[in-house]
Amino acid sequence: MTPTHFAFSSAFMLGLMGLAFHRQHLLSALLCLEGMMLSLFIALSLWTLQLDSTSFSASPMLLLAFSACEASAGLALLVATTRTHGSDQLQNLNLLQC
Amino acid sequence: MNPLILTILLFALGLGTTITFMSSHWLFAWMGLEINTLAIIPLMTQHHHPRSTEAGTKYFLAQATAAAMLLFASVTNAWLTGQWDILQMSHPLPTTMITLALALKIGLAPLHSWLPEVLQGLDLTTGLILSTWQKLAPFALLLQINPTNPTVLIMLGITSTLVGGWGGLNQTQLRKILAYSSIAHLGWMALILPFYPSLTLLALLTYLIMTLSTFLVFKLNKATNINTLAISWSKTPIITTLTPLLLLSLGGLPPLTGFMPKWFILQELTKQNLPLLATFTALTALLSLYFYLRLSYSMTLTMFPNNLMGTTPWRFFTQSTSLPLALSISMAIALLPLAPAMMALLTP
Repeated sequence: MTPTHFAFSSAFMLGLMGLAFHRQHLLSALLCLEGMMLSLFIALSLWTLQLDSTSFSASPMLLLAFSACEASAGLALLVATTRTHGSDQLQNLNLLQC
Repeated sequence: MNPLILTILLFALGLGTTITFMSSHWLFAWMGLEINTLAIIPLMTQHHHPRSTEAGTKYFLAQATAAAMLLFASVTNAWLTGQWDILQMSHPLPTTMITLALALKIGLAPLHSWLPEVLQGLDLTTGLILSTWQKLAPFALLLQINPTNPTVLIMLGITSTLVGGWGGLNQTQLRKILAYSSIAHLGWMALILPFYPSLTLLALLTYLIMTLSTFLVFKLNKATNINTLAISWSKTPIITTLTPLLLLSLGGLPPLTGFMPKWFILQELTKQNLPLLATFTALTALLSLYFYLRLSYSMTLTMFPNNLMGTTPWRFFTQSTSLPLALSISMAIALLPLAPAMMALLTP
């Protein structure tokens, strides 16, 4: 395991653990998802740089585009849940459990 | 919803699954899955209702996490082995992570808890898309990675059949019951995947047909809980007589279609010298059978008190199209004699 591999793996794992264990606000969940995506972006960019491959150089941009779409969908859902549930606390999302 | 936007969304839904089917590179498979997720979220939240918005949010969180984990595992695989190909997964760590990510995506226990809640918040058409079409792309990936470690899939499968049977026992909401039934069926597919992938395809195919017809029946009756089913005899008597067969086919009783995958899976598990596993899985199927039986009991064997005018709605001409329902329900009941042909079709 190279130091770069360790760096982005630990960044991703921190984001995942934040998403899994810090369940208070929807916004913090979205931020954790965005952090995970950014660590993946760094991983793909470093992969491209290390191999000097031109055929692979579009992939970090594709990843960034998709993660931007995902983040915007998440923010739209954040607005929608805030309007229907009153706040962005995740404990308010309890209408469907029974 | 605007028909143009609806067309674009449905097209994107088809496109995502097709991209995942055709890709051999992990990045493109991930992109297909993301397109799938992003296309169904507007369909889920199209009714501006707290329940559907909540279902959309929960679905988004689960799917985004699963997709990020999938891509992280494939990047790890690339850094460890230098390989981006789906079929060439060799390192056990990324393979296990991808298996877990796909299990979260399709809702295998113990990563299942989003599925009943999400399905409860949707209308029946979107629920149908969620529990049939959305399972195809993750299963295509799950079939292509060769499992280096069958224990993970066996544990996922056996927990899913148990939780799927157990969780549905106390439910009165039809969509939650269908979600638990979906978990149980997916558990059977995951269980046989390391031993005989063609049987996974067969089980997936029969699951799709049976779930399609169950959702169509419930949609025809506009039924979302068991009580609503109990008055369906006055609206659609013929379908009410066919539905118990359909539900018992979901439960896996012998002369019906649903028996075929369970039969082959139990036979294959016995052949692989795992009789204990086969016995346990067969016993957990009894739990699922209990709530299917309860559904068919309250639908056909009870007659709700009704006045004379209330018993007549079946005489009225209805506008609903029933051709898909007719085709799928006859396939969901009487496909067992075609078992050799289907096995020959699905075995490579």
